[in-house]
Amino acid sequence: MDSIKTAMVVLWFTLTLVVALSSSVLKNRVQVLERRLATINSNIQKDIADIHVLKAEWSHFNTPDRLRKLAYEQLSLENAKPEQIINYSALQFNYENDRNTSAIRKDNKNLTTLVKAEVKKK
Amino acid sequence: MGFNVSFSKRKQENYYHPGQEIKISRRPVSSKSYTTENDNVLTCRQRIFFAMCCFATIYLALCIRVSYVCLGNGINIDTAISEQNDENVIRFKNPVKRADILDRNGEIIATSLPTVNLHANAKKIKNPQDVAEKLNYIFPDETYEHLLSLLERKSTFVYLKRNLSPSQQAQVNALGIPELEFENCEKRIYPHKNLFAHILGNTDIDNEGISGIEKYMNERLTTSTKPLTLSVDLGVQNTIRDELVAGVKQFNAEGAAAILMDVRTGHVVALSSVPDYDPNENIKVGERAMFNFATKGIYEAGSVFKVFNTALSLESGKVKVTDRFDTSHAIYVGRLRVTDPHGSHGQLTPADILAESSNIGSTLEVMQVGKKYQREFLQNINMDKALDEFELPEIAKPQFLSEKRWGDVSMATISYGYGISSTPLHIITAFSAMVNGGMYHQPTLLNDGKHKGKRVVSQKTSDSMRELLRAVVSRGTGKRANVEGYQVIGKTGTADKLENGRYNHKKSMATFISAFPESNPQYALIVVMDDPKASKETYGFTTAGWNAVPVSKNIITAIAPQLNIKADFDLEKQKSIVDAAYKK
Repeated sequence: MDSIKTAMVVLWFTLTLVVALSSSVLKNRVQVLERRLATINSNIQKDIADIHVLKAEWSHFNTPDRLRKLAYEQLSLENAKPEQIINYSALQFNYENDRNTSAIRKDNKNLTTLVKAEVKKK
Repeated sequence: MGFNVSFSKRKQENYYHPGQEIKISRRPVSSKSYTTENDNVLTCRQRIFFAMCCFATIYLALCIRVSYVCLGNGINIDTAISEQNDENVIRFKNPVKRADILDRNGEIIATSLPTVNLHANAKKIKNPQDVAEKLNYIFPDETYEHLLSLLERKSTFVYLKRNLSPSQQAQVNALGIPELEFENCEKRIYPHKNLFAHILGNTDIDNEGISGIEKYMNERLTTSTKPLTLSVDLGVQNTIRDELVAGVKQFNAEGAAAILMDVRTGHVVALSSVPDYDPNENIKVGERAMFNFATKGIYEAGSVFKVFNTALSLESGKVKVTDRFDTSHAIYVGRLRVTDPHGSHGQLTPADILAESSNIGSTLEVMQVGKKYQREFLQNINMDKALDEFELPEIAKPQFLSEKRWGDVSMATISYGYGISSTPLHIITAFSAMVNGGMYHQPTLLNDGKHKGKRVVSQKTSDSMRELLRAVVSRGTGKRANVEGYQVIGKTGTADKLENGRYNHKKSMATFISAFPESNPQYALIVVMDDPKASKETYGFTTAGWNAVPVSKNIITAIAPQLNIKADFDLEKQKSIVDAAYKK
């Protein structure tokens, strides 16, 4: 009976010690993680503010006038003209099997010439 | 006493009374000595043992788990975070409190930047001259005298400068003057400057909306940081404003306004009124620049009203598209003599009346219908009330005649656009209903889905109107707006300008309202020129056909590809152009 009692005391003492030590380690680790989390949260908050400012800056640099000027100067691009966007059905391409490729090529050439003529007319 | 006697004689029971000592026998329990008297103690022991086992098990489990978490790699942080549901995830808030405003493509058109205000406890500043001099060096736009006067106020709280840049804040910090303090705030920024001035409006120094959508949607913008998306399109708005500015310059007009509306929904895709102002600048501009003519300017639109006159005539069933009206001579309505400014035209169909913009023809049409029907029709398309649901505070109520004053003369003048005044917004919204199949949609600046419309004319009338309005552009007063490939439909209108209650015949308001393409109109455009001047280019004319119409053509030519509307060139015509090109 006494041996059982001793065993029980040892068991409880060991368990208490293990729990106490573990809790201490756990607390320490949680504190480290909390500090890390606080830093991350702070950084995220700062990044959100920075991204907000960058978005405003991006918008400022993307004014249509500026983009048009840059596109013209750097890429020689101009505004799209009506004759550049037409219905598919209006295209002269014909993919029927009975037509040979030379006819299609001729149609394409005609279309290109048409666009050039329209542009010249304008 | 009887009570005690009864207790003393009582047999020992198998339970304890409250307060009675519990005596546990030390004798080993054996099956021989076991009696029912020991049963309670045994049960108690068993229960205690069972409870201890339970506690020990839980304690052990706790130990194992804690040891595992602490000593091993028990918890994977990434897994733990990913397992958190939405409610537990920390939501980061944007430090900027006033919500952004976006165009329909998500481009920022108004935003706020976090800044700081500089204030001081002037009472504690010992050498205000020195501080003022140092601050004047950092803020060259503020005068030394002004800063000194602020610092000498002997107040505990004085604003010295609002919205400092980060560089200025750093310089002030470097001064090391403890009486100077910073206050976090935000400043409203409009990256596109003048472009959306009359739509967005402005905010005051406390970032509260004071005009435009900033004022109308102030509560929404301050209670939620979720961006507010408008129906306007940045690129299209820019194109239209550029063309308007060019038009004002070319025709030396006092101003101009334009609205582009999606006829299928009532969404306003672009809205511009020039002159305008840069809302970023805190400088005073003229009243005209602050005035949004597109939504607040009420004026007599002139012949543009013939669109509604023809529509109501057809809708009544008393006029047909094949009917002919004799416009060869002036007619009298009461004492009013109705004439055509472009001379007599003979027998005209409704299409001709629109194409030639005949006042006589319009009057004859409405005389078939009557003033009661005319008034009801115009009321039905909201020509008598302010468009309160439109998301701008700068709106106006049209000048609409009372029933008593709506006589035969008024009926005649209203048929060709004199007698009632309305805003460009009223006109384009009603016009959209005439060409979109007959549904009137409330105009809106919010990109929040399709608004339910109300039917104001039948599909048949709307179809007819499209055909009739095509004649105006293909062969009538609006032919300078005939953009090839887009089948533009529209109507011109020129009216003498009303100044101080009198018509000034030397000044005019020129309007062109259009839609494209005819087969399935998607967008309607109204361009109003305020007092355009005659020039050599216009051969001395100031009518809409010479100013508002070419401006509209330029706008449609530029924006149609932007809006991804495909041109519909006639193939035969294309071939003839190609042949002509080859021959050259």
